Amino acid sequence: MDLASKLRQLLPQKTSPAPPQPKLDLDPYLGGAEVVTPYGPCYLITKELPLDRRHGGWKLGEVFQASYHKLARFGQPRGELNLESTLFLDTETTGLAGGTGTYAFLVGLGYFTPESFVVKQVLMRDYNEELALLHLVQQELLSKETVVTFNGRTFDLPLLQTRFALARLGFQGAAGKVHLDLLPLSRRLWRYKLASCSLDSLEENILGVRRSGDIPGWAIPQRYFDFLNTGQGHLLRDIVEHNFLDIVSLAALLHRLQRVLELEPHSCRCPYEAEALARLAAEEEDLPLALDYLQAAGELASEEELQLRILRQGAAHLKRLGRHAQAAALWQRILAREEADLQSAEELAKYYEHRAKDLEAARQITRRALALAWAARSPKASDFEHRLARLERKLRRRAAEL
Amino acid sequence: MWAVGVEEVLKKLENNPRFMSNVTFRLTVEAQEGVYEPIPEFVHPDLQALLRRRGIAKLYSHQAAALRAVQAGEDLVVVTPTASGKTLCYNLPVLQTLLEDEEARALYLFPTKALAQDQVAELVAWSEELGNRIKTYTYDGDTPGDARIAIRAAGSIVVTNPDMLHSGILPHHTKWMRLFENLKYVVIDELHIYRGVFGSHVANVLRRLDRICRFYGADPLYICTSATIANPQEHGERLLGRPVRVIDQNGAPRGRKDIFFYNPPVVNQPLGIRRSSLLEAEGIARELISHKIPTIIFARSRLDTEVLLTYLRKAFHRLGEPQETVRAYRGGYLPKQRRQIERELREGKVLGVVSTNALELGIDIGTLQAAVLTGYPGTIASTWQQLGRAGRSHEPSLAVLVATSSPLNQFMIQNPDYFLDRGVEYARINPNNLLILISHLKCAAFELPFTEGERFGEIDPAELLDYLTEEMVLRKVEGRWYWMSEHYPAAHVSLRSASTENFAVIDTTDGKTQVIGEVERFSAPMLIHEGAIYIHESRTYQIDHLDWEGQKAYAREVETDYYTDANLDVDLKVLDVFAQEELPQVRRSWGEVLVAAKTHMYKKIKFYTHENIGWGQISLPELEMHTTAYWFSLPQGFAGGLDQGALQSALLGAANLLGNIASLELMCEPSDLGVAAQLKSPFTQEPTVFIYEKYPGGVGFSEQLFAAHGRLLRRAISIIESCPCQGGCPSCVGPVEEVGPGGKEHTLWLLKGALGHGPRQQAAAAAAPEN
Repeated sequence: MDLASKLRQLLPQKTSPAPPQPKLDLDPYLGGAEVVTPYGPCYLITKELPLDRRHGGWKLGEVFQASYHKLARFGQPRGELNLESTLFLDTETTGLAGGTGTYAFLVGLGYFTPESFVVKQVLMRDYNEELALLHLVQQELLSKETVVTFNGRTFDLPLLQTRFALARLGFQGAAGKVHLDLLPLSRRLWRYKLASCSLDSLEENILGVRRSGDIPGWAIPQRYFDFLNTGQGHLLRDIVEHNFLDIVSLAALLHRLQRVLELEPHSCRCPYEAEALARLAAEEEDLPLALDYLQAAGELASEEELQLRILRQGAAHLKRLGRHAQAAALWQRILAREEADLQSAEELAKYYEHRAKDLEAARQITRRALALAWAARSPKASDFEHRLARLERKLRRRAAEL
Repeated sequence: MWAVGVEEVLKKLENNPRFMSNVTFRLTVEAQEGVYEPIPEFVHPDLQALLRRRGIAKLYSHQAAALRAVQAGEDLVVVTPTASGKTLCYNLPVLQTLLEDEEARALYLFPTKALAQDQVAELVAWSEELGNRIKTYTYDGDTPGDARIAIRAAGSIVVTNPDMLHSGILPHHTKWMRLFENLKYVVIDELHIYRGVFGSHVANVLRRLDRICRFYGADPLYICTSATIANPQEHGERLLGRPVRVIDQNGAPRGRKDIFFYNPPVVNQPLGIRRSSLLEAEGIARELISHKIPTIIFARSRLDTEVLLTYLRKAFHRLGEPQETVRAYRGGYLPKQRRQIERELREGKVLGVVSTNALELGIDIGTLQAAVLTGYPGTIASTWQQLGRAGRSHEPSLAVLVATSSPLNQFMIQNPDYFLDRGVEYARINPNNLLILISHLKCAAFELPFTEGERFGEIDPAELLDYLTEEMVLRKVEGRWYWMSEHYPAAHVSLRSASTENFAVIDTTDGKTQVIGEVERFSAPMLIHEGAIYIHESRTYQIDHLDWEGQKAYAREVETDYYTDANLDVDLKVLDVFAQEELPQVRRSWGEVLVAAKTHMYKKIKFYTHENIGWGQISLPELEMHTTAYWFSLPQGFAGGLDQGALQSALLGAANLLGNIASLELMCEPSDLGVAAQLKSPFTQEPTVFIYEKYPGGVGFSEQLFAAHGRLLRRAISIIESCPCQGGCPSCVGPVEEVGPGGKEHTLWLLKGALGHGPRQQAAAAAAPEN
């Protein structure tokens, strides 16, 4: 028995292999052309979108001309964002597993020129074109200072870094550039508003862009392998289109993020965004501004969960600012809505005991909280027991003094 | 409890006639003086100072020899027994290099996480004394994500296990560029553990490591240590794929050790039944522990570990001692539990440990003074390892091997000369087992594309790579093979067993959902079928539900007075014959077979009395495996006048017995082999006895058995003839209930006939007229 048939017996059977097809001409399907690099040829598709083209509610020209000062603090490292030297980058890969056996077979690169938004898509038509692909990507990276991606921090950039490292040609990749990943920032703004912060979901719900007949991400690796095995260019059409739209959406999303971050408290129209902006302000230690955003969010909010979140954050900020009476008022509003919020009950009890010196009120709240803590088998119960005992001691002492 | 020394306990045992009457053999290994050499002058002054502070003024001769070999640039294997200071053999040269070259890196491989963590603790202590210049880290499944980044960038010594190298490091080698570019040493501890299937996998992982090192231009030196095996040179060279220098002159001193071979007394002469080895071992261990002798008790299986633990704890409980005096330690425990037990052992809170062979490896658990082995561990090397587990210091120690009634055990206990003369085993691996090889070729192609003409270890992989290309796992372009799949191949290859997936056992008592253990896939039908009693930390759980697809078993704690034991039915089909030979009486063959295993029923066995108190049915899917087997078949007329029933019992008896001695012949684990007896094999059309390998594709045992055919049969005959039972017992052909009345006699007749020694011709002649 020969080796291969023996192996087939030992190993589970697969479908019988299809004979490799001769490579067909890709140009009619993808509209690009072969380019020759010092490392051999690969395939390049270049599209130039005029600046009056609209995507996601704005003209690309508006996107280009806007200032992105609000986004500077989210870069890694923190850095000014200048669209003239910014590269939008998205890869299509042979898998999600990572490791040295996962290849980026298509890299989409977008950038603005004074005349247009240019999208270059570099494709390796087979594995032997990888060096050429990497070379072209490297060339584009060299002339830019900032890279914008969606989920690039954990996926695209480490993967490219691995590819560059394997090439062992001294390519720097994106190392040394400012990187802005729009996924974590989008999550911070819309996590509570949207069920998912995938690019699809953001396009549909935030940018108002609808794709038709888009290839789902999970199907891309196998589609590429099918292309390798059959050489049929039309198989790549959907992938190239998908990658192209990702790049254009990146630019639109960047603009949308800047617009939201620019909102003043009084101009917010979405309670979730106002709440998110409050968090960002608090992170920058600007608590009065955070309170203004929370105020705006509270006025816009209708959902109960959101209301409670707003009140809790407001109370916490007021406490830190030393505005204890105002904080206490918020804790009371929280407890009126959610009796079993033990955290707020504890804060309020502390306030009455130590700030307002109203031991009777403190006792009342502690008693009620203790009962609820018992019912919920909360570990806080013992804290409340201690507090209650101390309050009663103090009250007895005060009674004795009188 | 009262504390006395080992010598006093020894005297008590010697004066105990019941104990001594069951001792078949006694061996005293005398204390030995050490052989020393001065610390060579080239050793870095900081290291010299460190050694002096630790009271090390001179080196054992083997440590000095290792240092010299490394200086000369030789890859080496140091073969010395436990507690001989082998870690210094690699730590000294490695630290020396790291002190001289800040950028230099070393990779340490230990077979288990526990060993790796032990080692790091020591290295960190050394490094602190050397001014924290050398950063040592463990890298395993428990290493948190942020720590991983620091380790990749700054770890001078990265300590890991082959599994992690296989699935975590090699497939991400670009992240480890600093390590690979500067790799000066690869240290592999416990080389002898890498044998059989595991070793065959690890040899391939090392071939992959070698490829990656070449890619980064590194050419590290290999320093390995091993317990005593017969073929360290051959094994080391096979595993590493390069010539090695062996250093095996042990210069370390050792204390006196007394070893007893103990055969439990026969309690039923006609059935050849001996008192349970578990009960005997428990009694001996109880005696030792109650004299405050720190004792380790080795059991042959997880189940035995738990049963022994239960017995010992109950015994100490009755004596009013804390239950925690005795702890269990076995593979199925979760890492955290194991770490805790190891710590308590070191701290002396625990006096007795019941262990499977997990502790056979050199984890430093300090001051054990006695070892009790429940059953022959299966190989002579393991036996010495386990006997050597106690008494690591200069002090005297004692060890008792308690035989079970299996033929292998009875052979060893009654033939101690064999134990002494035969010497330790050969470690055998077959890195070119097709299935194993192909798995690692996939992983290797994932790591780096293969180039035409490139070799993988000693082999030219082109034909196999072409096969993978046909299967569309690889793609060949311009003379290179690239990975063409979205899968991460290392995730689908487990180094330790044939299957990649373990079943989780989940405790659901009182609405909990807590994972309490793991069971390997092929053992699942035997251990965690519905109705099975699963014992964990001497608590008994009943399996309520087994989710076969989801690989989960749901258990509930119950009070029982029994445990369960499942039967495995095996069906076997011959697929291909690699070689066969017509002998005068029988035909021997080896080749490829398809084994289908299914469990149909289980027995309920009462604790202490071990009586069978009931049974239950199991309905689980059949497990199939392609593997290799050795078999012999009896030609037409061989059986002569023997009726079908007698022939059946002879075949069964021969299969049982030969399966057991085959592991002795091969010096492999008895669990590596399975047997089957067929009255009329669908393939040979004749009565046939099969011995098959329990790893897909086989690792080469079948071919060796084919060659050893005559010796196997002769040894089987001598065991039957020297067995005192009447009609068959677990120590020879199997219990009468299994092989039927007359099983012993029929088996002997068959074996003698097969060798041409018996009255086969006469029997056949006598039978002829009747036909």
